[in-house]
Amino acid sequence: MFDLNWIRSFSLGTIVIALMAIASSIGVLVWQPDREHGLEMWIFSLEHEALYRPVLEQRERAGGEHVNLRVLATAALERRMMSGFFGGLRTADLIEVERQMAGLAFTGPLEAVGFTDLTDHLVETGLMEQINKPSFGPWTSRGRVFGLPHDVHPVMLGYRADIVEAAGIDVSQIETWDDFARVLAPLMTDEDGDGKPDRYLLGLWETDSDRLETLLLQAGGRFFDERGAAVMDQERNAWALSQIVSWCVGPTRIAADVPDFSAGGNRLKEEGYAVAYIMPDWMCNVWRMQMPNLAGKVKVMPLPAFEPGGRRTSVWGGTMLGIPKTTVSFERSWQVATDLYFSEELAKKLYSNNDIITPVKSHWSDPVFDAPDPYFSGQAKGRMYIDLAPDVPARTSSPYNKLARDRFRDAAVAVAEWARREGKCHPAELIDKCREELARAQGAVMRQMERNVFLEVDQ
Amino acid sequence: MSMAYQSRIRWAGYALLAPFVLVFLIFLVLPLVQAGVLALKQTYGPQASVWVGLENFRHLANDPLFWRAVSNTLIYTASTILIQLPLALGLAMVLNHPKIRGRGIYRLIFFSPQLMGMVFVSMLAGLIFEKRSGLVNQALHAAFGTSLDFPWLQVYIMPTLIISTLWMYVGFNMVYFLAALQNVERSLVEAASVDGAGPWARFRHVTIPAIRPVGSFVVLLSVIGSLQLFELPYVMLDGSAGPANRGLTIVLYLYQNGFEIGDLGYASAIGWVLGLMLVVAAALQMRLARERG
Repeated sequence: MFDLNWIRSFSLGTIVIALMAIASSIGVLVWQPDREHGLEMWIFSLEHEALYRPVLEQRERAGGEHVNLRVLATAALERRMMSGFFGGLRTADLIEVERQMAGLAFTGPLEAVGFTDLTDHLVETGLMEQINKPSFGPWTSRGRVFGLPHDVHPVMLGYRADIVEAAGIDVSQIETWDDFARVLAPLMTDEDGDGKPDRYLLGLWETDSDRLETLLLQAGGRFFDERGAAVMDQERNAWALSQIVSWCVGPTRIAADVPDFSAGGNRLKEEGYAVAYIMPDWMCNVWRMQMPNLAGKVKVMPLPAFEPGGRRTSVWGGTMLGIPKTTVSFERSWQVATDLYFSEELAKKLYSNNDIITPVKSHWSDPVFDAPDPYFSGQAKGRMYIDLAPDVPARTSSPYNKLARDRFRDAAVAVAEWARREGKCHPAELIDKCREELARAQGAVMRQMERNVFLEVDQ
Repeated sequence: MSMAYQSRIRWAGYALLAPFVLVFLIFLVLPLVQAGVLALKQTYGPQASVWVGLENFRHLANDPLFWRAVSNTLIYTASTILIQLPLALGLAMVLNHPKIRGRGIYRLIFFSPQLMGMVFVSMLAGLIFEKRSGLVNQALHAAFGTSLDFPWLQVYIMPTLIISTLWMYVGFNMVYFLAALQNVERSLVEAASVDGAGPWARFRHVTIPAIRPVGSFVVLLSVIGSLQLFELPYVMLDGSAGPANRGLTIVLYLYQNGFEIGDLGYASAIGWVLGLMLVVAAALQMRLARERG
């Protein structure tokens, strides 16, 4: 038999620890986590969960597949998704991601993109034609579409109708940003006599990269061309930047720094510190939830154009639903994706619950979009957003978009600080400086892009 | 003792060491080697990687953003040593004075920001330093009539980071100094007084030498922590480095490259340079401490 005397050379504690270590190691090796049957879907929004869960449950009751819906924090979803894509590991069968996250998935070679290429499916099924074309932009890399668009996110101008109307101002006179500044100028009064206006016309600052990008796109500027090459240093961008910065500097500035998503910013909005704000459709819901006191005091109107006859809208944000290549079944995942994103019922709820316009054009004729909205002073704002939806500017899916956006913001900051130092605030005085800073910004983006041997962009 | 027993004892030693060695090899040595290899590659996951040799390091040497990050991090580190630690020592000396009543309460108050954690402190700092509605601008406006629009989080980002860190770490480091001060020999201080040494002379020639070992340890910890600054700017500036990269630190730049752009090879190269800086800082500090000790 075995000689077990050697065990006596260990203390009792050592033996207990060793046995526990062996038992737990065996436990870890043999333990298989219960895999839920059906498909796994990851999303990042609680609002979307509230919409999807009843539909998925109803689908399952009708004999459809079980879908395990998980809501993850944005950062957690991004980490898990990218770890899976980097390592070629299984993630979920369906993943809903917003624009910046999706861009990250397009950094490598086309064949290494973790999402399934949906282009042929969309064309063959005719779904490509049913969706508002600009909505595909952020999910298209090197000509291939990797996600179903969730939204359009057209942008309007939200304004404090109570303040504007009390001053007897008719906003229908406003066509351009110059009109906006001229018509609303009487609102910039200095009642406390401190030499500064008590109220500004526009919630905007040179440090706000989201709003800067939105306005740049409206003005016809862009960070990247169709091939994905950086084109920040161009005349149109410099012109747009000079206009935007001129609103934030000098004694006649019309803009004030009123941040979104913060208690301080919301208080300033409620106090009417600025009259108007850049407002994509989803922002209507943010206002409704975070500033209920403003119900009936707010209205929306198309963005003033940069030039007469110019574009009256822009785009801000975006979400897609992608099917990772590691899905257990593309067909089953595709079925769930189309059931959710092309459902008329869900499109109506997306608007009535979240104020978001569906990108599926055939749903736009639904009366839900014509319903007066009490928060927005009885306006049928859904129809107003839909009227602008086909005109939202095109965007690219460049993984370097965030970098370009940040560098564009830095250019705006540099121009604004220079303008304050030099006492120059007219757009014509700023344009050369804008060009200089944009060249610097483009250089920084190109330096980063040139390092990527997987993206073949002929700069 | 028999040969068999001796052999068993020897093997028992190896057996007991094995779990640690295994964990050490798998979770420390292997990743370190992999990170070294990664720094020599342009990668996009294991399926897409290209050998670029020292290109990542060459690019780093000529990358103005990296140098901006290094400069910001060094300014922050210098502020830690020149402002934070003297303040912590001063506070410890005040609270070590026997005539101060309610010292325990004060110690708890100064230490309490540490209990909240860096992320919470960063979120609070972001609110406190906001324009117009922020507590700091409101207080300064009420007291001195300064502008409510003072741009702490837009222009004066490094001072804001330094002030926020003072709030968090002065009380923490004070605890170390307090413990060291309580161990200074009373008899030495009294002997110095008898010999005619004034308060400054006693502090310089008795207190400082006595607390030097703890001081060296606190400096080393602070330098290492400062060089790794990440959560504070990341949370306070909403995931960015702030306008014109005024809040860009080395680790934040590493994070941006690795996880926002997906350039893991470059991020790894930044990590190696940071590691080197930490080793140099620690070696310098230890050498200085040895020379003075």
